[in-house]
Amino acid sequence: MSGDESEGAGVEEPKFRVVDTRRRFLTWFTPPAGVFVLGFVALLFAGHVTGPLQHITVVRAMIASKRDFFADEQVKRILLGHGYQVQVTPAGSFELAETADLDSYQFVFPSGQAAADRVYERRRGQHAIGYKPFFTPLVLATFRDYAEALVKAGVAGPQYTGDKPLYYRLETKPLVAHMAAGDRWQNYNPRLSANRLLVQSPDPCRSYSGAAYVGLVAYATYGHPAATEAEAVEQARGIKPMLDAEGQHSDDMAPKFFVPEGRGFATVAVIYEHQYLAYQNRRLDNGLGLDTDRVLLYPSAQHETAPDLISFSPEGDAIGSLLMSDPALRRRAVELGFHVYSADTAQFDFAGYLAERRIPEPATASSDDETWLPKDVPFRRMIDDVGDCRW
Amino acid sequence: MVRVALVLLLLLAACSLGAPADAKLTVLATGELADLGPVLADLRRDTGVELVMDYRATLAAPAGHDLAWLPTARYLRLRGAEPGTATSIMLSPLVLGVKAAEAAKLGAQPTWADIADRAAGGELRYGMADPHVSGTGMAALIGVATAAAGTGAALRPEDVRCDRIQGFLAGRAFGAPDVAGEYVRRQDDTGGIVAPESAILALNASGRLREPLVVVHPRDGSVLADYPLILLNPDRRAAYDKVVQWLRTPAAQRAIMDRTFRRPVDPTVPRSGPLAAPIGNPLYFPDRQEVLDRLLQAYDRAGTARQVIFVLDYSLSMAGPRVAALRRAFAALTGFDRFSIGESVTILRFAGEVLEERTVTVSRRADADGLQAVVASADLRPRTAIWGALERAYRIARPGAAIVLMTDGENNTGPGVAAFLAGAHDAGPTYAVGFGEANQAELGRVAAATGGRVVDGNAESLTEAVKELRGCR
Repeated sequence: MSGDESEGAGVEEPKFRVVDTRRRFLTWFTPPAGVFVLGFVALLFAGHVTGPLQHITVVRAMIASKRDFFADEQVKRILLGHGYQVQVTPAGSFELAETADLDSYQFVFPSGQAAADRVYERRRGQHAIGYKPFFTPLVLATFRDYAEALVKAGVAGPQYTGDKPLYYRLETKPLVAHMAAGDRWQNYNPRLSANRLLVQSPDPCRSYSGAAYVGLVAYATYGHPAATEAEAVEQARGIKPMLDAEGQHSDDMAPKFFVPEGRGFATVAVIYEHQYLAYQNRRLDNGLGLDTDRVLLYPSAQHETAPDLISFSPEGDAIGSLLMSDPALRRRAVELGFHVYSADTAQFDFAGYLAERRIPEPATASSDDETWLPKDVPFRRMIDDVGDCRW
Repeated sequence: MVRVALVLLLLLAACSLGAPADAKLTVLATGELADLGPVLADLRRDTGVELVMDYRATLAAPAGHDLAWLPTARYLRLRGAEPGTATSIMLSPLVLGVKAAEAAKLGAQPTWADIADRAAGGELRYGMADPHVSGTGMAALIGVATAAAGTGAALRPEDVRCDRIQGFLAGRAFGAPDVAGEYVRRQDDTGGIVAPESAILALNASGRLREPLVVVHPRDGSVLADYPLILLNPDRRAAYDKVVQWLRTPAAQRAIMDRTFRRPVDPTVPRSGPLAAPIGNPLYFPDRQEVLDRLLQAYDRAGTARQVIFVLDYSLSMAGPRVAALRRAFAALTGFDRFSIGESVTILRFAGEVLEERTVTVSRRADADGLQAVVASADLRPRTAIWGALERAYRIARPGAAIVLMTDGENNTGPGVAAFLAGAHDAGPTYAVGFGEANQAELGRVAAATGGRVVDGNAESLTEAVKELRGCR
């Protein structure tokens, strides 16, 4: 930007001018400062940055797999716009429910009912308000050639006809029979891993999906959920070899399953549907197109998880309420692969959003049932016996 | 007035945008992370957080630091030290890096068994870090032992068999903590190293090698290091969050990849060059510390020279299928079962007397192959002097030897079983394989007296017996 003093300077002899320093400063300063202030105000309103005068409340939370939601930049921005920043301590659902020092958090968010029930039990007589902002089914994620091996083994089939279906039905009873018999992937395709045909699941002592998988294997083996602790122990003993064969369990399986090296990490992994859809959405956002090599298997014993955000404080209540009612957060939840309850308007429609992004819509179970999972006490006993938990 | 207000506003805005407040975090880090230096300098510039790295070669649970940065949390978990807050930062699979000629001999997509076969035969000499203190060394042992067990499942303590990993370890040329650096010094007389993929690609890029190494991903899977950054001191949570958030930005992930050849944990950051190669199948990781302890025991014993004596019945009754089965059993000794470098193998053929005694100390593949010719002999004679032959075996046995006795009949000449048992037979156990008319009771007495056992003789069990009875207890 040119200075005032050169203005009007011509070929004729130089003339002295009185320079108004105050004016000069403002001419130099005002335009960029104006741009800055306007931009800053715009950012402030959009929630990208926090204003010096706005009070930001840091909310401490312990969150299991649903921390994916709180780690999302847009979610962070929206919450910041409401004056909240959630500081997440990651933990598995049962780790959270059984061992965490709950009082040091303002809300917790385990991934499944059994873990939530345990939290309510521990918080009896204290502030503990539950919110169920969304739901998502438990699924098995794999690669197409492994899914096709399961088709060949007669335990799976595509959910819909068409080239490269992304979703398969999975009959859990015969699957578990193959697993128990020590069947191998290479029996169906010599190019696959020489490993036993197994599903890799998170640690059942720590993670809800790991525990639900134990319940699923038990149900597929025995045909009914354990009704008593004694029966839970008996079923646990029967299925333990299949779970031990997987070796050391991981924590959340999804992040490593979805890296390009995922095949070197797990061939079939227990995850939640939202993790897969969020991954596909992110690929589309990055111009990478749909991944048609990674597919989902929907177990015949389906389990829709509707996790409880459990608040222990007014700050936690505020976050729970926002997740239940803030349109931007609801919209973002759908974009991150969650189903939201239909009380919302059509614009948050799960199916509509997938259609808009041209992601095929997975068929959900006709009935939303957890009836194949044992009730709390036998369920926890079964998990403990299978996993030798350190609760 | 306006000016003052504007300046004030700018200052305040700058503050709220997060002018970095300097912070130092102490980090217990695995030595290989020294290559992150430039990335950590950028981290400090952008966030104001300095990571003070304390490099150590250890698998043990750390204490006294703010953070730990290890190749994997799996070993901590085995010890029951579950890391609370941990975030994976980057990935690198454990691989074998070998010279091109060696890679060609291993073939496309070799298994751990193929690698063990060449190592045992003295044709592959490699460097590998000490599994007592190195996650990489331990990961290699897990890969080899899992493949050797062949169960297709995670290793159990009873699956760890030291004889099977001994062949692989016979090819180990050195175990310096800095395997890559040591390889540079010894590159002319070693074929490669077992190391993370990143270390091998970094070596290739360093200009210190006369011949670049080819990255070989064992087809049956290996351990994938994911370098979790672990928060040990909860009071440093805010700074930790800042560091993790920065390290996981696409720009930092790319910088890590470009400078250290580790793969990004962010799936959407495209892998460049050799990092775009697929890494093979998963390995089921053991879930008991006892498995690791057994692996270390086997590792500690691997250096000791092994002696195996086969005492084989070549009486007339062995003609036909029994001798054929014997030949097949020896021909099947490849891969993990190969006679390995340094192993002393004696074949003692007998009928009414000792017909042939051949001992080789294996120093190259051809030595072991020469034993096949002895076994293939068609020289069968009358009568059976089992205990005389076994006496001879114990005369040449050194303490710690393993003896495999194979027979199909009754002793009908030479000393009897009582005479044998009256003599010296404490150098090692006899594993007895009895076919047909063999006197199981006598075999049982001898096996029990020497600490061995009897194996039922049929074609399949013979192959198994020859593979599995070769000592290494």
